[in-house]
Amino acid sequence: MSAMSAMLLEILVSLFLLASAFFTLAGSIGLARLPDFYTRLHGPTKATTLGVGGMLVASVLYFSARGEWLSLNELLITMFLFITAPISAYLLAQAALHLRVRDVSGGADKSKHPGQ
Amino acid sequence: MTLLLIILFPLLGAALPAVAVRWGRNASAGAAAGVTAIPLALLLFETPRVLAGGTIEAGWRWVPAIGLDLTFRLDGLGFLFALLILGIGLLVILYARYYLSQRDPVGRFYVFLLLFMGAMLGIVLSDNLLLLLVFWELTSLSSFLLIGYWKHHADARQGARMALAITGGGGLALLAGVLLLGHIVGSFELPVVLRSRELIQGSPLYLPMLTLILLGAFTKSAQFPFHFWLPHAMSAPTPVSAYLHSATMVKAGVFLLARLYPVLSGSDAWFYLVSGTGLVTLVFAAYVAMFKHDLKGLLAYSTISHLGLIMLLFGLSTPLAAVAGVFHIINHATFKASLFMAAGIIDHESGSRDMRRLNGLWKYMPHTATLAMVAAASMAGVPLFNGFLSKEMFFTEALELHQTGTLWWIVPAAATLAGVFAVAYSLRFIHDVFFNGEPVDLPRTPHEPPRWMKVPVEILVVLCLLVGIFPAYTVAPLLNVAAGSVLGGPLPEFDLAIWHGFTFPLLMSVVALSGGVLVYFALQYRFNLHMIVQSPSPGRRFYNRGLAWLTGLSEIVTGGLQNGSLQRYLALLVTVILLAGAFPFWQLGWYSGSRSPGMMDGGSGVAWLLLVVSAACTVIWHRQRLLALVFVGVTGLMVSLIFVRFSAPDLALTQILVEVVSIILLLLALYLLPQTTPRESSVTRRMRDAGLAVAAGLGAAGLVWAVLTRPQDTISGFFLEQSVPGGGGSNVVNVILVDFRGFDTFGEIIVLAIAALGIYAMIGGLRVERPALDPARRPWAADSHPLLLRVASRILLPLALMVSVYLLLRGHNEPGGGFIAGLVTAVALITQYLASGIAWTEARLRLDHQRMIGIGVLIAALTGVASWFFGAPFLTSAFAHWHLPVLGELPLASAMIFDLGVYLTVVATTMLMLVTLGKIGAREEV
Repeated sequence: MSAMSAMLLEILVSLFLLASAFFTLAGSIGLARLPDFYTRLHGPTKATTLGVGGMLVASVLYFSARGEWLSLNELLITMFLFITAPISAYLLAQAALHLRVRDVSGGADKSKHPGQ
Repeated sequence: MTLLLIILFPLLGAALPAVAVRWGRNASAGAAAGVTAIPLALLLFETPRVLAGGTIEAGWRWVPAIGLDLTFRLDGLGFLFALLILGIGLLVILYARYYLSQRDPVGRFYVFLLLFMGAMLGIVLSDNLLLLLVFWELTSLSSFLLIGYWKHHADARQGARMALAITGGGGLALLAGVLLLGHIVGSFELPVVLRSRELIQGSPLYLPMLTLILLGAFTKSAQFPFHFWLPHAMSAPTPVSAYLHSATMVKAGVFLLARLYPVLSGSDAWFYLVSGTGLVTLVFAAYVAMFKHDLKGLLAYSTISHLGLIMLLFGLSTPLAAVAGVFHIINHATFKASLFMAAGIIDHESGSRDMRRLNGLWKYMPHTATLAMVAAASMAGVPLFNGFLSKEMFFTEALELHQTGTLWWIVPAAATLAGVFAVAYSLRFIHDVFFNGEPVDLPRTPHEPPRWMKVPVEILVVLCLLVGIFPAYTVAPLLNVAAGSVLGGPLPEFDLAIWHGFTFPLLMSVVALSGGVLVYFALQYRFNLHMIVQSPSPGRRFYNRGLAWLTGLSEIVTGGLQNGSLQRYLALLVTVILLAGAFPFWQLGWYSGSRSPGMMDGGSGVAWLLLVVSAACTVIWHRQRLLALVFVGVTGLMVSLIFVRFSAPDLALTQILVEVVSIILLLLALYLLPQTTPRESSVTRRMRDAGLAVAAGLGAAGLVWAVLTRPQDTISGFFLEQSVPGGGGSNVVNVILVDFRGFDTFGEIIVLAIAALGIYAMIGGLRVERPALDPARRPWAADSHPLLLRVASRILLPLALMVSVYLLLRGHNEPGGGFIAGLVTAVALITQYLASGIAWTEARLRLDHQRMIGIGVLIAALTGVASWFFGAPFLTSAFAHWHLPVLGELPLASAMIFDLGVYLTVVATTMLMLVTLGKIGAREEV
């Protein structure tokens, strides 16, 4: 591998890492700062998932360039993550609705009880 | 090889009668007879060699590390006993065919009988004392089964338990004695032991060793004061009494003394202990026998008395006495077995064994009566019958005794007295049963038994007569070689003749005969024998009281330790661990090595802080159970991150997976439990617990510090070096698990399996009403299996299974392995249960967890056993690197098959635990 492509690769990997760090941080801040349960749910389930995804892409690039083969383990991890994260969010939200957790406007209480 | 076959035929062939019983009782009896006849033929085939004085030996290594080898020898003594065991065994099998009723499970009887036969043959043919002991215990066990054969009778069960407790306890004493003997000699091999007479008798351990061995022999041979189990064992079917409790098993104690006679005998301790016990037993049991109204009771006490006689003879320690002892073993076996069989016939055909009701049977069964009379005459020691010859030799030796000094008359006098009693009870057996008026109120009219039921008795009675009249032509060669191997040297001069002239022993016989007749008729007609009722023996009372005391003690101890309080168990466990851990510190002082444990980096610092905080939070909020569970999860996550930090990916993976599984487990439990822990314990109790916890924590910290600061010269270097050349894998952790320390892992998966089966046994099938409302009195969500979750989990399943297979396959070289892969599979499967419900999942996933556990353990065990076929020790692994055309290099190690066993066990145990717990609160599926 030439020095040029090596540097290109490093830049690419760094970009992905930086982006993923940004999304993860944003997700974490969201989890801590947003006003109610429903909005907080966005942080760890959406932003952070994206962040981890970025990190996995960086890993694919880095290890594929180093080894002989395309590194596909990370793709599998990504799949697991992208299947489970929305499901978790969905289940958490449903549980919250069932338990009538109040939102910032106090709205959930008025809606029809989903568990009935 | 012949010797091994002789023992293995009955032991392995024991299954045949149980199978053959499908084709009827005759088939079952035939199978048992066949399994006995073949080794008998094998034995008889060796007769010329043994009678010529030869000894046949054979041996295989078994557990050389503890001196236990499969070595056998067939010498004169072993030949005599094997002949008795197989010969009388064959007769008993024939007899039992007619004795057992239609309702009795015949197959089971023969199975037990053959097992006993094999064990008994093992005793008499063993050339290794430890091996002998193994067979010794086997006879106790099979005797237990045989005595308790009629398990619906309470006295049979009690008799079986008593016999097992007494002979088993004696077996323990014998084990201790044999271990001492082996310690003195340095070997358990009989030839070595038998050559070490001076060494043994000079040892300071001689007396304790002798006492322990004698305890074993005395309990087995029912010597006073341990005799009382034998009369209670009479609740066994009569064939068993004839076989075990007169001819063979009770002779095991005598046999042992005969075996060890060359090295143990001759000392004063031997003389006083053996002949003293024998003398007391001889007279006491003969006296008691006269007053027994039960036919078998009389015979049982007579057996005890005769065993005492044989003991006494061996105790006298003169060569001729030993010859007489061996001779009496033969004679007693023949006449007592036939008497028991006759008693069984009487019981069988008249429905009673009570001599107060059995009278005048001569008219109904003259043939049986004649046979019984011959055998009883032999028991009494009447001339022309075999019992007379050995009794005469006994009287002679009693007179020759020198050790007793001025009290020389005691043994001859006691011998004559016992002779008087023996004649009296023998006479009673005949006169009371066959004459003495008419039968009283018998359940059925007595008549002669089937033809073939009498044949075994006839054979034995003919032997009694042949030996009694022509001793020199019949029994002499056998007696010579048997006595020769007891003495281990030249035989004394003796003459097996009926007539020795008018001698003092003859006078004693005459006194015994006439005295016995007098005593019996005096008892019968002057003191009304039938009205005398004996109180139960004091030995039995003592036994029962001891048993009650032991039961009470164990109840107190168990009740104190296990009162049902989990807190107490935990406190006790932690205390014991603390003490065990503190002991070395207290003994060796505080240890702190020279090595610096190094500075902590920032990342580790944060992890450590989180660990401490989450652990503290768990303690603070432990009454809020769900919250505490979250904190426990954080702790587990931190621990696995610390493993990653220290480059232990396998441990980190395992930790995370175990964390997942245990969270599911606890959530399943919490579902059915209160959400908060009430305050129940007092302040002092909490202070105690806190003290224990702090002490345990400090102890763990101290240990870690000691390990971290000691200079690095551990075994890990060796493991790192040897992993690839020795174990064929580059993942050292996995190679350690499945190869270097494979035996540990094998033990651990068995522990896992037992734990899972234990959980299943305790709570499987338990159903708890699911709470209708949640703890905050809200209804549960109606949709307990959301569609999205169900669909997603089904997509995930194949992916997760693929990952687990991947982890399993690469485990030997990269992070992974059976344990981790098993946990992944289990989590993937459990997800299906959680997402779609138990009924849905079980309809599609038909896994028999219990069977799977068994298969897993079996695969692991078979991998270990397989290495034996290559002459290597258990669990030696082999590996090879194969080059395949397309796939490239394929490393294969036998350890991977072992890992497969681990995998299956882990999957099945985890599933079994979680599913069992999950089913408790499961509601009916909609």
